[in-house]
Amino acid sequence: MTTAEVSAAMKFAAMDDENLIRAVTQKNAVALEVLYDRYGRLVFSMAYNVISIEAVAEEITQDVFIQVWQRAVTYNPGHGKVTTWLASIARHRAIDVYRRQRSHPDEIDNGWEEDSYELPDSLDLQFEVESSEQAGRVRTALNQLPDEQKRVLALAFFKGLTQQEIADEIDEPLGTVKTRIRLAMQKLRLILVD
Amino acid sequence: MEIEHVTDLIPAFALGCLDEDEAKEVKQHLESCSECSAELRAYQKVVDHLSFGIKQFTPPPEVKERLLEQVALERVAPEEKKREGLFSWLKDLFSPQRLWQVASVLAILILLVVNLLQWQQNTSLRAMTRGGATAQAVSLTGTDAAPKANGFLVINNSSHATLVVNNLPVLPESKQYQLWLIKNGQRTSGGVFSVNPDGTGSLLINSPQPFADYKALGVTIEPKGGSASPTGEKVLGGDL
Repeated sequence: MTTAEVSAAMKFAAMDDENLIRAVTQKNAVALEVLYDRYGRLVFSMAYNVISIEAVAEEITQDVFIQVWQRAVTYNPGHGKVTTWLASIARHRAIDVYRRQRSHPDEIDNGWEEDSYELPDSLDLQFEVESSEQAGRVRTALNQLPDEQKRVLALAFFKGLTQQEIADEIDEPLGTVKTRIRLAMQKLRLILVD
Repeated sequence: MEIEHVTDLIPAFALGCLDEDEAKEVKQHLESCSECSAELRAYQKVVDHLSFGIKQFTPPPEVKERLLEQVALERVAPEEKKREGLFSWLKDLFSPQRLWQVASVLAILILLVVNLLQWQQNTSLRAMTRGGATAQAVSLTGTDAAPKANGFLVINNSSHATLVVNNLPVLPESKQYQLWLIKNGQRTSGGVFSVNPDGTGSLLINSPQPFADYKALGVTIEPKGGSASPTGEKVLGGDL
């Protein structure tokens, strides 16, 4: 690395997320690299929690950052933080892949198929979160939910299933699923937002 | 008329787990209901929070490497690529280094073509010499003015012949070679010709009299278009 490159890397490392995105819109590769260093783990974790196949999660991670590289201009600070934007892109992308694989059973890895609804306990105490206050708050909030509410929430959040699909999957009445989702969300809102 | 809110559907809508019809209903309602829109914003925040509570995994370093490689490839905008594609080919073709290569290849091609033509010419002349009962080949040799020059005249019939020459110097534009048919000291023009850059040349001759009437032939350097009688230096000569 030349002195100029080191100084550029330091400059971007000191930038906030929004300015980094702005630099990415100007096709600054160092800015994208810094963004990846900050949130590559978040994006990969989201993809892996949804898809449970490392190679696919890697591919999704790469795709998400390429999408950021190509369309950083679509980021709107008024709609949320950069982290939220990235996590949302990653989640939707991974769910798309998950749903496509799910609709083509021949392409599904057997081990994955068996474990398809054995969720990675992502929403409970076992996860190793970054020691951020936000992560701690989310963990605490989720722990206040009954297991059956956490499960339907996870099926919706990580697998992109509709309430009807969840009902079919866990073999419970649709009304029961709707109630669990609503109660879980209301409780989380109360703890995390209000 | 009392508005029917979609409050109960909004948590699931924010989570994206409503059926298509229900989602459509909520969207339509949100267009005109600020109260429900505010509800939605609150639930969207819940969903945003959930992203930060997920179990963490660290991607292998290759992901970053591949990403940066791909970005490096994509840094050239498609339009630039197109322009580059068209112009870089021309630019490359006319670069000093490439120009020498192109010139060398062209020179070799020209030499090949000339040699091929010469070979064809010689072959056809030899065939004519061998095959035609009346065909006759007469050789010409260079004088001191053009010691390396040589040539031959193939007489097809009594008044038609072809002159082929080699190693004659290339003349300035104002000059041409002229063939003379010699009879009793008198010289009759057989025609004028120029040579190729490699010193080769040929001339078709329609003789006013049968070749048998002439005793010798010669080639001199004359002003462009030829002279009535030889005025310049003799470069080739031969006996008939």
